[in-house]
Amino acid sequence: MLLDTGYRAGPIAALRESVYRIGALAGHNTTIRLRDPGQMISYLVMPMVLMLVLKPLYVRAVEGGTTKVVTGLLVMFSVFAISIAGNAILAERTWKTWDRLRVSRAPAAELLLGKTLPIYLVMIVQQAILLGYGCLVIGLPIPGNIPLVLMSILIWAFTLLAIGALLAAIVRSHGELSVISDVGALTLSSLGGALVPLSLMPDWAQVAAHVSPGYWALEMLQAAVAGDTAGTLLPAAILLGIALISGAFAIRRLTRGWGRGGLL
Amino acid sequence: MLQAIDLVKRYGSVLALDGFSLSVAAGEIVGLVGHNGAGKTTFVEIVSYLIRQDSGHVTIDGRPPSASKGQVGVAPQHIALYPSITVREHLVLFGKLAGLRRTALDSAIEDLTVALRLGAFIDRKTAGLSGGQQRRVQAATALIHRPGLLLLDEPTAGADLETREAMLDVVKQRAGDGAAIVYTTHYLPELVELQATIAVARNGKIIARGTYDELVEGLPGEVCLIHDNEEEVRVSTTQPAATLIDLLSRAERPISTIEVHNPSLDDLYRSLAVSDAS
Ligand SMILES: Nc1ncnc2c1ncn2[C@@H]1O[C@H](COP(=O)(O)OP(=O)(O)O)[C@@H](O)[C@H]1O
Ligand SMILES: [Mg+2]
Repeated sequence: MLLDTGYRAGPIAALRESVYRIGALAGHNTTIRLRDPGQMISYLVMPMVLMLVLKPLYVRAVEGGTTKVVTGLLVMFSVFAISIAGNAILAERTWKTWDRLRVSRAPAAELLLGKTLPIYLVMIVQQAILLGYGCLVIGLPIPGNIPLVLMSILIWAFTLLAIGALLAAIVRSHGELSVISDVGALTLSSLGGALVPLSLMPDWAQVAAHVSPGYWALEMLQAAVAGDTAGTLLPAAILLGIALISGAFAIRRLTRGWGRGGLL
Repeated sequence: MLQAIDLVKRYGSVLALDGFSLSVAAGEIVGLVGHNGAGKTTFVEIVSYLIRQDSGHVTIDGRPPSASKGQVGVAPQHIALYPSITVREHLVLFGKLAGLRRTALDSAIEDLTVALRLGAFIDRKTAGLSGGQQRRVQAATALIHRPGLLLLDEPTAGADLETREAMLDVVKQRAGDGAAIVYTTHYLPELVELQATIAVARNGKIIARGTYDELVEGLPGEVCLIHDNEEEVRVSTTQPAATLIDLLSRAERPISTIEVHNPSLDDLYRSLAVSDAS
């Protein structure tokens, strides 16, 4: 037997094959993550500490300060997922393994899903832990509409991963990625009101905030925590749009590969 | 099995492939040789659908590379493995990506572990392996699903003796099972042992193709006599035995060492360059 293996016709069989491959990739990428977990742990611990320290400031400065400090820091530290996802994909370029995967049966969309799925789960757990911590330790009122909060978390994590994938696909080196993702993430999240409440920012910054995904994430999360379904929908739709466009570009770029060029 | 016709690939002002044509039958091993930059790797990349040609056609079992994913096994020229992942985990990943399940996967891993002698380090991370061991792992990930077309790009580059032996054995065995194999190398003796068809690439095209006997046998080798670490005489000849006897009978000083060099790839390139120029 030479021309191999479990290849069967029909859409259902094709879907099963696809799920099998994504499962294999996700398992593989989970192993890689687990053997190098430092980055993720620090992004969980840092916001917990900062929430405690910054809470008095927020509560005195603005109305609903508790909600703002929890959601603000949650957004700010979730933004670092861009760099986690980006570095994970960039590492495949450095190791030259991406081309090995491209030769396999799995199309780029499967490769990307397998790559980001473990990070997605981690992010959701991170955000859930931070919200739980916010309720138990910081004094955030327990949200009335849990599914709405969950949906917001899912959408925001999806958006971040799509942006991370896009960045990893277009940068030329780890250096470029860290500049864009760290500086960019901090600018975007703070401009979005994640660090300092938006109402305290200068007028121009309040206007500029509208281009930041961080701004829409905060809008969405604050509305969700308050149980305001209508207020959640617009920012959710905008974020989903950003995610889909970024993801589509990333897949296109990742399908083509990079050849032997670049600084990696 | 593999048919490539008139491939052209340009990188800016560099013409990496310039009318490159090569076909490989099922069960055939083609030893693709040529100087660095001749276009060997570019050819492999096009056949494995990693890059697109500017013009020309490739078919694998009658289909284009885009429709042949999973039927091709590629071991790239440069080591491309996950440093923190073990050898076994690599085989599981690539086996599963090819659609192998449970028992089929287990037995494929078992077979390759024996054939490529991976047993001693199968549960170690690849970052800690020697160059030769990494070469074998890389080949194993290309072979795991028993593809009908194998593209092995310098699979023995920098390899130790054990790696070379294991690699040649597996390649012969897979060809015996009916796989079409493209094997690039800089070592002519490997191709002799594999009984490969030799295809010589230069400046982006194949300039000669034939068996060892057809291409190399008639070329001059070298006989060299050495007296006390000092070269006494060096002669280029197509008849090494006769030449050696003749030289020895005429030697004026005692000879400490005799070297006989069979024609090398460089001799082949040189002869082709000469016939090209004339
Ligand atoms: N991605 C690339 N960008 C620019 N030039 C390239 C690229 N890939 C290959 N080349 C050029 O194409 C030619 C053929 O290269 P290659 O196929 O690697 O040769 P070989 O494998 O025979 O040594 C070389 O001149 C090389 O520099
Ligand atoms: Mg090469």
